[in-house]
Amino acid sequence: MTRTEAGAERRRLASARPRRGGSPADGLDPVTFALLEAALRATSVEMGAALRHASYSPIIREMLDYSCAVFDAAGQLVAQGEFIPAQLGAMSLVVQATLRRHGPSIAPGDVFVSNDPYEGGAHTPDVNVIRPVFVARGAPRGGPPALLGWVGTVAHQVDFGGPNPGTEGADNRQVFGEGLILPPVRLATARGPQADLVALIGANVRDPVSTLADLRAQLAACRIGEARLLEIAEHHGPATVRRAFAALLDHAERRTRAALAALPDGEAEAEGFLDDDGAGGPPTRFQARLTKTGDRLTVDLSGSAGQVPGGLNNPWASTRACVAYLVRAVAGSDIPANDGALRPVTIVCPEGSILHPRRPAAVSVRHLTCQRLADTMIRAAARLWPDLPVAGHFVGFFSLMAEGPSPRTGRSVVLQDVVGGGTGAHGPRRLHAQGTAGPGGGPGGMTMPGGDGLDAVDTHMSNVGLLSAEVCELEYPWRLVRSELVPGSAGRGRWSGGLGLRRTYEVLAAAQPVVLYCEQTDPRWRPWGAAGGGDGRPTRLIVRDPAGRRIVVASKATVILEPGSTVTIVTGGGGGYGDPRVAGS
Amino acid sequence: MADTTWAVGIDVGGTFTDAVAVRADGLVRTAKVPSTPDDPARGLLDAMAALTLAGVTPGAVTRVVHGTTVATNALLTGSLTRVVLCATDGFRDVLAIRDGQRPAMYDLFQPRPRELVVRRDRLVVQERIAGDGTILVPLAAAEIERVVAAVRRRRPAAVAISLLFSFIEPAHERALGEALRRALPEVPVVISSEVAREFREYPRTATTVIAAGLGPVVGRYLDRAAAGVAALGVPGSLLIMESGGGLVVADRAAREPHRLLLSGPAGGVGGAIEIGQRLGLTDLLTLDMGGTSVDVCLVRGGHAPRRATQAHDGVPVLAPALDIATAGAGGGSVAWLDPAGALRVGPRSAGADPGPAAYGRGGTEPTITDAHLITGGLDESTPLAGSVRMDRSAAEGAIATLAGPLGLSLEETARGILAIATAHIAGAIRRVSIERGIDPRGLPLVAFGGAGPLLAPTLMRDLRLAEVVVPPTPGLLSAAGLVGADLRFDESQTLLLRFGSRDEDRLLAWLRTAAADLERRLSAEGVAPGNRRLAAVVDCRYLGQGYELSVPVPAISRRAVRELPQAFHRAHREAYGHDAPDEPVEAVTARLVAIGVLPHAEPARVARGARGGRPDAAADLGLRTLVAVSRQERVRARLWRRDDLRAGDRLIGPAIVEQLDATTIIPTGMVGRVGAWGEIRIREART
Repeated sequence: MTRTEAGAERRRLASARPRRGGSPADGLDPVTFALLEAALRATSVEMGAALRHASYSPIIREMLDYSCAVFDAAGQLVAQGEFIPAQLGAMSLVVQATLRRHGPSIAPGDVFVSNDPYEGGAHTPDVNVIRPVFVARGAPRGGPPALLGWVGTVAHQVDFGGPNPGTEGADNRQVFGEGLILPPVRLATARGPQADLVALIGANVRDPVSTLADLRAQLAACRIGEARLLEIAEHHGPATVRRAFAALLDHAERRTRAALAALPDGEAEAEGFLDDDGAGGPPTRFQARLTKTGDRLTVDLSGSAGQVPGGLNNPWASTRACVAYLVRAVAGSDIPANDGALRPVTIVCPEGSILHPRRPAAVSVRHLTCQRLADTMIRAAARLWPDLPVAGHFVGFFSLMAEGPSPRTGRSVVLQDVVGGGTGAHGPRRLHAQGTAGPGGGPGGMTMPGGDGLDAVDTHMSNVGLLSAEVCELEYPWRLVRSELVPGSAGRGRWSGGLGLRRTYEVLAAAQPVVLYCEQTDPRWRPWGAAGGGDGRPTRLIVRDPAGRRIVVASKATVILEPGSTVTIVTGGGGGYGDPRVAGS
Repeated sequence: MADTTWAVGIDVGGTFTDAVAVRADGLVRTAKVPSTPDDPARGLLDAMAALTLAGVTPGAVTRVVHGTTVATNALLTGSLTRVVLCATDGFRDVLAIRDGQRPAMYDLFQPRPRELVVRRDRLVVQERIAGDGTILVPLAAAEIERVVAAVRRRRPAAVAISLLFSFIEPAHERALGEALRRALPEVPVVISSEVAREFREYPRTATTVIAAGLGPVVGRYLDRAAAGVAALGVPGSLLIMESGGGLVVADRAAREPHRLLLSGPAGGVGGAIEIGQRLGLTDLLTLDMGGTSVDVCLVRGGHAPRRATQAHDGVPVLAPALDIATAGAGGGSVAWLDPAGALRVGPRSAGADPGPAAYGRGGTEPTITDAHLITGGLDESTPLAGSVRMDRSAAEGAIATLAGPLGLSLEETARGILAIATAHIAGAIRRVSIERGIDPRGLPLVAFGGAGPLLAPTLMRDLRLAEVVVPPTPGLLSAAGLVGADLRFDESQTLLLRFGSRDEDRLLAWLRTAAADLERRLSAEGVAPGNRRLAAVVDCRYLGQGYELSVPVPAISRRAVRELPQAFHRAHREAYGHDAPDEPVEAVTARLVAIGVLPHAEPARVARGARGGRPDAAADLGLRTLVAVSRQERVRARLWRRDDLRAGDRLIGPAIVEQLDATTIIPTGMVGRVGAWGEIRIREART
């Protein structure tokens, strides 16, 4: 078993740890610490609002597939608002890759863009735009400006080129088929945007108006982030801000260690499967083994399959984000979201794994892998800690992408919709010692009742919104014919899972290339019930031609559909918890 | 002949119902009575009766302006009327699906969101209108009959109809609505194209259902209130404060109850703006601390910002509202220990009944009011609002339940409670300032509500604000703000049209029609043409964007409409730092506001005090021991009677100012100065 890559990650995290243990806030008074924590978090939230409001693509502005964050000078995430888990902390690897690549040449006014899955990225549509923030060196010494930190945004661009509309596709065999790959390069300098690069991007994507506008929105968000960070530095002094960065990382580490220490020690494992390998092959297996000792957690993923031929490979940044999700779900989401929270965690996963692929493995539909990996780790955690009484979520993550003429402008637009399902029910549990909803039954444990799952939501690693039927029909040559809950789709139990969703889309104009993908169509891997609760139903995908005849498609397919054709997705409900013969309360 | 007519404002809060009457010559009469949560109309009429005792002639009252929390409470406590929803076939679950996102991302144990309408009460209608307004599936007469019968079988208390694309083509909603109103004349029917002509089916449907569910509850209440006021011999009309800070007549308010969800806090913001105007302060923060919660708002340029949508318990409501942030830190907010033994405050409130332990009405839980009694900000010898006697030993008993497990003294525990409450309020102030990109430092804070001036100076120090302004009657400012408010009507319509095409005519035509409608409404309320103000904005975006910026239309004219894209480019540059002058601009939603200015009296000034700022001896009530919130310090504070203070008086901290409706603390190191209208402005003492 090779542990070298994980070892490198471990070393990086360890070397980033400050030498001093220090007081709760490392010499900062608690009020300044609290003020800076709130101010940095507010900075990322404000950046997000600016990005959302100025963006064109519904996947950003309606479905909220983006994140914004603040980093220290070394590229460690120090503050991030509540954006989607799949992007939690992922951007720090991009900032670090940028530092490695450009180091001393990084200058005030630079803005970098990157989407390379092998330089910290997740998949090519997730485009990172990051900006270093410099402060003038204080009098009396003067001298060149000093790097204070970074602000960054990652947004899912609706199309970044490649053979498929929306860039994604399970049938991609190499990352080279997944659109334009940008390693960290300058999108702008102090002299302004790099017109050549902007022209290159514009020439490679299907809807350059939207994509370039969305990049402008990311630039604007970074500019706002920079302005806020500079204001904070002006108010408190750059030295205090740097101390606060370190203190925030330490604080998250301490909170995570305390939460882990409160949990029983032990080891547990679980396995999970994807329906196939992304290229029509056999199911792909994951294995997660969790070992908790004292205030440390080891997540061993080395029993998982090797990298696969299709686009299901999960780049390291995404695997790391999945582990960050697990830690947050278990230790408590009131712990500040930053890289300090991962310090007590070791991830073991060899290079060449589906969860740690080597270039040039294709990665574009890696989100299906993220969902199943999160599900598998949560299942192992539920076995390890009895006070984590949960059933399985729907993790089929249906996505539809299509390219056609806009009904409003006639120009080519790319539609993407993502459809969730039911979450698993949960049983009664004792409250965590810190009063957070975690599994560690602390002293004096107050018992919280069980509850039913949520209907029709995006689950685990994603939390993107559902496209409004009215927005869809106004902006795309597609009509939503129905969008409703599916009674009976969830696992029964003393507490029932949440319901899945049935959504039917109709093509309105032009024969369109359509990319479809989903998971959990194999009934063996349907959402699992727990403690005697029933399983949720598997996913069903039904495509019909204009005459209503069924077109047989795989769970991951690229098809050309004529006007009048329909696509119907029926997602699964969540697993039930407890014996269904006992009435819920 | 002197004008002796009265305008009355009545604010029903969680704990007290406040009333202010202003005579045309500036004479003011006030009253404060306990709220009656079981039947809020009784409190309202009690307040009116108390005003009568204070010398207000009911027959001379030209208007009664009312701020109410009835709609908010009904929504928050889930006591909406049972609604049956009629939705386009295939879309009955819009409310349950919400926006497809889970409220908490990392919580595996999160509760299911509350359902506004259960599934069996969500009925489908066979019809479909396309995005361009064409009818794909006509609504057949037989289908109307079937739906009417199905609705009748469900025996609803109210019906909501929300069909896809009704904001473009309302024909189906209207036809079904008319049929239902004919068939079920006793049941209110609300259609989405009447309450919210805006796109996106989820917020529009949620707004429609909330309007339908609130209608009967709010309607019954306003009927009783209007009848009660009339029975007292008041000839004037009953006007209701809306969330957006404007007034409507009561029967209209009952038909649009979703517009009242922030009615309560809106009056105080208006009152604070008025005080600011008098003092030349146009940018300020408002802090309204009552019995149950704290509301803060950031006023800029003399105007409170408004939002076109609000979220209540995660549910969107399309109705204009003042941009107010709330913290669960009112006088009655309960202090408690979490499972890990940490001290917490709020958001749960002991309310008016039983209220804080100190009220001696059977409350046993420690509250912020109890903490003030322990630290000396409040005192047994001064009844709250002149009527509620406070029991110090009851407060001590309640605080002791926390002090024991915490291992702290009573005083330390009470200080801790007040420090945490202050931090909660500071968080709310940050939400309306820092999170909107505005630095609160250097702004004045207008503090009101019975409990506001107790903590405001501490907040001022923590947030480095410029000063605290304590209005003459802080506990009655919300009611005074109601008297000072004007009629405000608005219309909006999603248009989705492009500039530079013939579509501009549609925008102009809508603005003209809506302006005429609003003028008619103002005229019907007796507002003379000279007192009418119209303001139009158009929410614009680049074609392809999903969010809009509101661009003012200086006049309803072809030229002004033509110049909108230029104004939008400028607005976009200001907001986001870039624009795209070559990209087409579209008008998404047009909004028109009509204000009917009501007659307002000038408040009277207070007499000038002695030179040198020394208050009159009559105002001196001696010394009281006060425990400071910010540091462990017991001081002897000078106690002043507010009614005997004069303009120009200087109050050097530590000091406490008592009056019937509120108590003000001036901490060590601060100075209060009494202004021309009796307001106190508290600043850091210059060193």
